[in-house]
Amino acid sequence: MLWHKAWIDTRWRCLIGLAVLLLSAMGTVFGYQLVSSKALDITAPQGSGMVAAAIREALELSRTFKGYVWLNAFSQNLSQLGTLFAILLGGGALRSEAPGTLYTLSLPFSRRALMTTRAATGLAELLAITIVPALAIAVLAPAVGERYSILDALVHGVCLFAGTAVFFSLTFLLSTSFPDPWRPPIIACGIAVVIGMFETFFGRVAPVGIFHVIHGESYFRGDGVPWLGLVVVVAISAVLLRVAIAAIERQDF
Amino acid sequence: MADPLVIECAGLSKHYGSTRALDGLDLQVPRGSIFGFLGRNGAGKTTTIKILLGMVHPTGGRVHVFDLPAAEREASVAIRRRCGFVSEEKDLYNGMTVGEIVAFTASFYPRWRADLQERYLRSFELSADANVKTLSRGTRTKLALLLAFCRGAELLILDEPTSGLDPAVAEEVLQLLVSHVAREETTIFLSSHHLAEIDQIADRIGIVHRGRMILSGVLDDLRQDFRRVQAVFDGDAPGAGFATPGVVRVRRKGRTVDVTAHGHVDDVVAEARALGAVAVDVSAVPLKEMFLELVAMED
Repeated sequence: MLWHKAWIDTRWRCLIGLAVLLLSAMGTVFGYQLVSSKALDITAPQGSGMVAAAIREALELSRTFKGYVWLNAFSQNLSQLGTLFAILLGGGALRSEAPGTLYTLSLPFSRRALMTTRAATGLAELLAITIVPALAIAVLAPAVGERYSILDALVHGVCLFAGTAVFFSLTFLLSTSFPDPWRPPIIACGIAVVIGMFETFFGRVAPVGIFHVIHGESYFRGDGVPWLGLVVVVAISAVLLRVAIAAIERQDF
Repeated sequence: MADPLVIECAGLSKHYGSTRALDGLDLQVPRGSIFGFLGRNGAGKTTTIKILLGMVHPTGGRVHVFDLPAAEREASVAIRRRCGFVSEEKDLYNGMTVGEIVAFTASFYPRWRADLQERYLRSFELSADANVKTLSRGTRTKLALLLAFCRGAELLILDEPTSGLDPAVAEEVLQLLVSHVAREETTIFLSSHHLAEIDQIADRIGIVHRGRMILSGVLDDLRQDFRRVQAVFDGDAPGAGFATPGVVRVRRKGRTVDVTAHGHVDDVVAEARALGAVAVDVSAVPLKEMFLELVAMED
């Protein structure tokens, strides 16, 4: 029944997240014909600057459905929305001032069991809101006359899940330190922005960078599944969750 | 033979930085009793309850519930399996219906009393489809009591259960507690600062002040032991005297001396006569006055 309660507590965040990411994935698929026809009309800018290079690459990627999907969905919309909903799902794990906390703590289970169940439920929800939209791209592609491999969708979905799980775990940990529900997601969003900027400007850390994993860039560029990055993000998430559970076990409330 | 103890604390302390929420609290609650745990706001009542339920870790001392160490994590789960708890805020899950919270709670208690659940749902006129957040404070209290009663709990820990209720509902809740105890042989640990309620239903009390137990015992015995001795003198009351052991407070006004004593009443009467009192009257002390006198003495 702890699962049931964890689901009741988070179901709206999960369902809204699933709907938003699914709509985003659908928008990407059904917008392809419009974007690809426009891309052919646009002349690539000349020059050696970063912006010009980025525009040239975007135009180039948009000429194929696979490149277009990666550029728009996995490296932008789904990764940003996935990060946002991971943060929202991670909030409010067990707050001393939340309604019902005293009642919960008076029931016969340990805080460890409660927090573990809450984390597992949140991660399962995150898995759904990252994998389902990724698979939806593969399922919907024939509707616009294209094909997208289920395996590619699955790998990108897993990368999206594993990377955004770091932000879920971070918010989960932060929510053990703040009595209000607002500061943990705001701080986690701030940290996500800083990490994103750091990875953009210091690309050398890319193979193990969180957003590099979320984007599944190495897989897209043919370098295979980013195993090292996946191991690193899973390890970071595990440590954050473990610290969060230990923190709650130690606290008096 | 004395009743076995359900709750036993010795030298229990809890410090938050330099604040001593509990400072060597001793507490014994025998099985089958209705124990009134009295104290002013901030005296340490809620901290004690949270320690008993394993929510707060004590800084020092010993705390056992059902002979299990409440400060140990696994033991505290076993303790909570045998306890019912109603918090002051009647803090329940606003996102659930009555039926959902009952089913959720029942799933953790193998000895859940479905018969009591049906009886109380009917008598409290609680609809299983009603959302918890729409319930009035009185109805929430009744739901919280239902959830505590139906666990088959051997010990009910109630923190200010009538707080925020109108007198009629408060009285109903008290009657409910008494009838439940009479039927189910449960021990009740009732924390309150509503002295009249404790006076009405408790058979034992403990008064906690600044984290220490300043008085504890069977309420009837305490009523017997606590006496007000009023001595009237011919002229002005003597300025000294009444240093007998057990004297809690002495008030002098004109020709009269009012002495509140805990035990040793005969000694106080004898001293009053020795000092030349022309009339000595001994009367009972209401619980409220006992509480106020003891707290004032400690301050």
